[in-house]
Amino acid sequence: MNRRRTALVRQAPFLLSLAAGAVLWEIVGRNTNAAFMAPLSETLVRMVQLTLSGELPREALSSAALFATGLGLAIVVGMPFGLLLARVKWLREALDIYIMVLYATPLVALIPFILSIFGFGFWPKVLVVFLFAVFPILYNTIEGARSIKPELIEVARSYRSREWALWREVMVPYTLPFTMTGIRQAIGRALVGMVAAEFFLSATGLGQLIMTATQNFDTAAVFSAVLLIVAAGMILMRLGVALEARFAKWRG
Amino acid sequence: MAISSTLATPRRALFVGPTVLRIVAGIVILAAWEIVVRLFAPSYVATPSGVAAAFPSVVVSAPFLVALGQTLGAVAEGLAIAIVCGTVIGLMMGRSALGERLLRHYINACYAMPMLVVLPLFSLWFGYTGAARLATIVFAAIFSIIVSVADGARSVPKDYLEVAHSFRAGRMCMLFEIVLPASMPYFLAGLRLAGGRALIGAVVAEFFTAIGGLGYFILFNSRTFHHDEAFVAVLFLAAFGVAVDVLINWSTRRFLPWYRRDDKAE
Repeated sequence: MNRRRTALVRQAPFLLSLAAGAVLWEIVGRNTNAAFMAPLSETLVRMVQLTLSGELPREALSSAALFATGLGLAIVVGMPFGLLLARVKWLREALDIYIMVLYATPLVALIPFILSIFGFGFWPKVLVVFLFAVFPILYNTIEGARSIKPELIEVARSYRSREWALWREVMVPYTLPFTMTGIRQAIGRALVGMVAAEFFLSATGLGQLIMTATQNFDTAAVFSAVLLIVAAGMILMRLGVALEARFAKWRG
Repeated sequence: MAISSTLATPRRALFVGPTVLRIVAGIVILAAWEIVVRLFAPSYVATPSGVAAAFPSVVVSAPFLVALGQTLGAVAEGLAIAIVCGTVIGLMMGRSALGERLLRHYINACYAMPMLVVLPLFSLWFGYTGAARLATIVFAAIFSIIVSVADGARSVPKDYLEVAHSFRAGRMCMLFEIVLPASMPYFLAGLRLAGGRALIGAVVAEFFTAIGGLGYFILFNSRTFHHDEAFVAVLFLAAFGVAVDVLINWSTRRFLPWYRRDDKAE
């Protein structure tokens, strides 16, 4: 009883701020032109409408397919390639600076090129998501590999460890926590890539919903889609942090 | 074969230095790009030779210089706003439990949100003008600063504050003399992220609203099939991205030598 009360007291500011935010949104929304800002109540009603009409779930699924394909490819390509670079020193030294440069480059700038070379299909958009997501994975895997103590490999070698065993027992366990950090960053970037692809290549999914709704001054629908993306982003971010924490214990 | 190619054997590393390897790799990459494009792609697609040929005339051309100035000016202005506001909010969250509980969820939500989704709204609110771009840049940059300043302010060792307190330091004095300097490394790490995000914000805002700048320069030239010219602007953007990284790493080492870099970056 007592404990429940203190928990409530501790949660009070959070709940208060949530309520205050909702009230503020409602007030601002009601006192602004509906074309610019929809109040919270209207947004929620619109959200239910869009869900019942099947439009919101359909577009969300289309976006999710794009996100998952791009991120999945980035992991499938980024992880083995990162580990290969981790193992083969000369290859790593040859390529690391280019990977760093691409990691720091605002890759959105490449979207107009991708559009005019590859056109409007599904795969050009996957390419955008992939490009956004793959470099954090590569970069962090290489960072991890660089921090492997040479002693570890020397000890393994002096016990006549085979190449396969060396990978399984030293390389992968040591680099994996860093790769997970990369995947966590990649999740956020892939989400940005998804929206960018849907805005600037062919309009599909939630991006298209937002664009058409903006053109029709249907701000309630815009906010519905934005809220959905924010919620998805936060859940995915949590997932990424949990994944990272799960493997962080391995860090030597 | 497998065992002979093991890593960390100095023999191999000394055989050719890393610099040589990097240059060779660069040449291989550029050559592959050139060959693939010439064999398989339409003739308007950018090639290294084409970009190199276009480079000298583009960098002195008036449209490019104007676009460069517009984008960099907007990024600098937006970053300045984000730094000032972000530091204030971050300190509030880091030094006061109430501020933290009131704001944390909003900040986290905005930080996790792909900043692009606000573009249509901003273009609606601010019109297709520079103000929409500025708002996008601030929005893109501010949250990483808030989060890292708050982290930094929270991590100030208690001993410092207790010592200052026992010397009867005032609140303001503690804030400016202890909390701010102690959270500097975190701030710089946040600024590094913010710089990259601000640049992306500027480019996407220009794509979306078609106001003048490097993003629009790229869009316009690639749509009119001047890929080589457009790519010069991409090179500049890449250079800025790298420059921000290098500058912040350097200033962390130079001005905060007591701080040991960790992997807190993102």
